[in-house]
Order: sequence, then structure tokens, then C-alpha cells
Amino acid sequence: MDLLLDSFLSALLLIWSIDPELLVIVQVSLKVSAISTLIAGVVGIPAGFLIAFRPFRGKRLVITVLNTLLAMPTVVIGLFVYAFISRRGIFGAFDLLYTQKAIIIGQMILIIPIVTTFTIAAISRIDERYRKTALTLGANVFQTALIIIREARFGIVASIIVAFGRVIAEVGISMMLGGNAKGFTRTMTTAMALEYDKGEFVLSVALGIVLLMVSFGMNVFFNYFQGKARV
Amino acid sequence: MLYELKNLKKTYNQRTVLNLESLKLEKNKVLGLLGPNGAGKTTLLEIMAFLTRPSAGDIWFEKEWVDFTNGKLMMNLRRKVVLIQQQPILFTTTVFKNVEYPLKIRKTPKAERKKIVKELLKLVGMGMFEHASAHKLSGGETHRVAIAQVLACFPEVILMDEPTASVDVENQINIERIIKEINQKKSISVIFTTHNMIQASRLADKTVFLFEGKVARSIYENIFSSHIEVDSNGYKYCVLHSGLKLRVSSQKSGAIRISIDPSAVKLNKKEIIPSIHNSFKGTLVQLTDEQSRVRALVDVGIPLSILIPKEVFKSLHLDLGEEVWLNCPKESIDVF
Repeated sequence: MDLLLDSFLSALLLIWSIDPELLVIVQVSLKVSAISTLIAGVVGIPAGFLIAFRPFRGKRLVITVLNTLLAMPTVVIGLFVYAFISRRGIFGAFDLLYTQKAIIIGQMILIIPIVTTFTIAAISRIDERYRKTALTLGANVFQTALIIIREARFGIVASIIVAFGRVIAEVGISMMLGGNAKGFTRTMTTAMALEYDKGEFVLSVALGIVLLMVSFGMNVFFNYFQGKARV
Repeated sequence: MLYELKNLKKTYNQRTVLNLESLKLEKNKVLGLLGPNGAGKTTLLEIMAFLTRPSAGDIWFEKEWVDFTNGKLMMNLRRKVVLIQQQPILFTTTVFKNVEYPLKIRKTPKAERKKIVKELLKLVGMGMFEHASAHKLSGGETHRVAIAQVLACFPEVILMDEPTASVDVENQINIERIIKEINQKKSISVIFTTHNMIQASRLADKTVFLFEGKVARSIYENIFSSHIEVDSNGYKYCVLHSGLKLRVSSQKSGAIRISIDPSAVKLNKKEIIPSIHNSFKGTLVQLTDEQSRVRALVDVGIPLSILIPKEVFKSLHLDLGEEVWLNCPKESIDVF
């Protein structure tokens, strides 16, 4: 118990003093996760919308595959992306391995299925009458889509929350594709793993606290949108 | 001519829900589409609102042939014709923003939008609810806001699906008043569906009867399932579940359905002697005033609704609970 308590108090001190090393790690984590979540939203929300709305052959198969991808372990994605971007891979020439971009690519693959399936679920539940109402009031196809997404925003925002939570907390992809390079690709989770290996708990615990605080902050922020969606 | 429909068909999963040979609807009128549930009323309205594509057939709107595959044309037409669904749904926001929406997408300046929305909400008696959240309104209030919303489109035609089916009497009166007002003051054509004959005759300049996806020559009332029996003399009868036997002339056999035209049934206080076919004794259970006629509901084992001209009604001195005799001539019975 002493170990935990000591670490906890030292960790609070570290956060309070705004330790530069800690700050860089948190910055890298936030930047990478924010970008991958943003891209996943830009890709996943319209994709989910189209899959929910357009009747096409093999729609059920697509949804089943997406649902399966939700259970994909991060290390499998790490391996998969590694095969493409390592020196001998097809995209080896781009020198992506062990960069922040590599982490972002891996994380996107991780969370695009999350955003897409949540969006499909949210949009399928929206009453058909909204579409007809928007159309009859003179909206064009794009404006009609916006109305439907607006009505489904509670579920869609939830998908973004889940997706962000997933990437900020994952360690496999960041470790395998980022390489945990100090000041460059070291994220909160990879740093925690490393510090744990070294037997240095203070920074680990400090990072754990920051991670939870960041998650809490994100949820407060998104909750504001969701709350407004209930008007 | 506002709408002209020819050989219009709509099928869902091989089930034909609409099959109209020909139908013409005039401009600047209040038109009623009358028919029981499943007659194809809603489908017809959605096609006329350019929201649903017909499976076959042609439509002319204001003498122009409508190409349902032309997205741009569809949108332009939808800006002239609006539909209020049977249970309208409002966007998850305030009443004001709901009514403002059509103006916003038409890029009306903000100050003007505000003025119009306030006026329209006043017209439908919802001025007090401007800032209320739309989802907290009752069914009747929602309906009135939906009317204000479609008026904000400044349409030429308003289609209404069962405008008063799901609202209370007070809102019903309100909505009927609004329908008359928008037709007369704003000269907007109104086409509404209903299964309420009294409402149709009260509101509509003209009524079209729909039955099983087709235009019927009159409203089918008194519809009963039955089957044909042939007696030893070769006369055909249809037997109703209550045991009532009606002599009919029809080529059909086996299981059928019949409808008895309420205005062709004769009502008397005494049995006509010598007795003729299809005479039944029953009890008068309900009387309703319908403008120039009186609707009487007579229990003859089954409830039969019949229409009597006012003069005849007065001369008969009828009383509720009284025994009466009905005579259903063969022409009053439609076998299908």
C-alpha cells in the first residue's frame, strides 16, 4: 500500500510542477489521438450514414465484418500495418515506421469500425418521418442528410467518445508502430509500460492520473453536446 | 387541372397497394380522399407529394408530365407541394426553429424569417409556444405547428394525411378551421385523406372514394365477408355470418365480400306486404345529422348504416329503439 500511496503523492507533485517530460508525453498522446479520432469521424460518420441508408447487396455482410473488426486486438493491427510500412513493405519507401503518422494510421484502423457501426446503429433508429419531413419542406439531399445526422447526434457523439477513449488508452499500436521514442512517439500508455518495466512507478502513476483526467475532461466536453441533443 | 394521374400503380413486395386507372384533381379546391384503412390513401398522397416513386403509370402536375427520375425536378416540385404526415414529427429543437427551417433553406433574410414565423404561429394558435421544445408538445399542438411549418414553405398545394385522426375534438375543430382558412385566404389547394365521411362532406368541395387501391364509384360502406349459396330454384344468395340471407345477382361464387349502398336501402316503419326479397326487421340504434340527410344505424343482427333524405326522415317520425323494416334492393348490393 505504501508503494501506491508514495507513488501517488509523488505523482501529484510531478503533475503540479508541470514536469517537462510529462508534458511532452501528454502532448504527443493528445495530438495523435485527436488526429486519429478526427479522421475516423470524418470517414466513419458518412460511411455509417451511407451504409444505414443505401440499400445494397451484401449490406448485412458489411455490418457483420465491421462488428467483427470491433474485436480486433491492437497488436494484430500493429502487425498488419507493420507489414505494409516496414522497410520491406509496399509503403516502406515513405519511411512511416516509428513515426506519429504510423500510430495515427494504426489507430484509425482501430476506431473507424467503431465510429461506423455506432453511426449505423444511431441512424437506423431515426424515425423515417424525419427524412420525409425534411424533403417535403424543400430540403435537398445534403440538407436532408444533415437533418438525420442532427437527430442522431446523441449516438454519433457517443461513438466519438468511445473511439477517443479507445485510442488514448491503447498501447499495442503505439508501441509497435511508434516505437516509444522519447519526445517523439512516446505516448502516455507506452511511457507507463516502460516506467513499469524499469520499476519506476511515479511517472507511471502520474500518467495514469493525467490519462483519466483527460478522459474526464473529454467526457464533460462531449456531454455538453449530448445534453443539448436532448432539447 | 392540378393533378392528372393515369394507370398509376404502386406495389410493395408484389402486393399492389395502388392501382388507379385515371384520376383528375382540380386546383384551388379542398379535396377529400375518402376510404377505409389500407385503401392506398397514404401511398397516393406520398406519390403526389413526390416523395415516393410510382411503380408504373404517369402523373401530370399542372399539365407538366412528371419525371420521377429527375432529382432536380423532384426538388422543384417538392417546393410547390408539401405533405403533412398523419403523425407529423418535429425536429428536436424549439417550435420557432422548426417553423423557421423551410425559410432558412430557402435563404430568406433573418429579420423576415422572424416576422413570418411569428405570424404563422399566431395563425395556428401556437404563438405562446414559440420557445417551447417541440418534443414536449401534445399531438394536437404538434399538428398545428406542423401546419405552420408547411405554410412557411409558401406552397401551392398542401397534402394532409388524416389531419384529425389522432387529435382531440378541440384540436379537430381548430385544424378544420385552419384548412378552410388557408384554402380561402391564401388560395392554396388542399388535398386531405380521411376515413370519416362526415368530415369529408363538411370540409371538401369534392370527394374521391378510394377502395383497395382503386377509385370507387361511391364509398363502400357496410362491407361484410360472406359466401354465395344457390337455392333449388337457381337463385343466388349471399349468407352473412349473422345468418342473414341476401338475394344477389352476381356471376361470382364461393367466398366473396359485399357492400351495401347506404343510400339505396329503403327504411319503413311497417313490413311491406306482399313481402319482397331482402326485407329485414331491425332496431334503430343511432341517428346522425349529415347536412341534407340523416344517417341511421339499424341493428338487423349486424349493424347496417343507411342514409335517409331529411324529408323522408321527418315524415317517418322515427324514434331510437324503435322497430323498423329495411329493404335492400338487389342494386344496392355490390359483390366483389
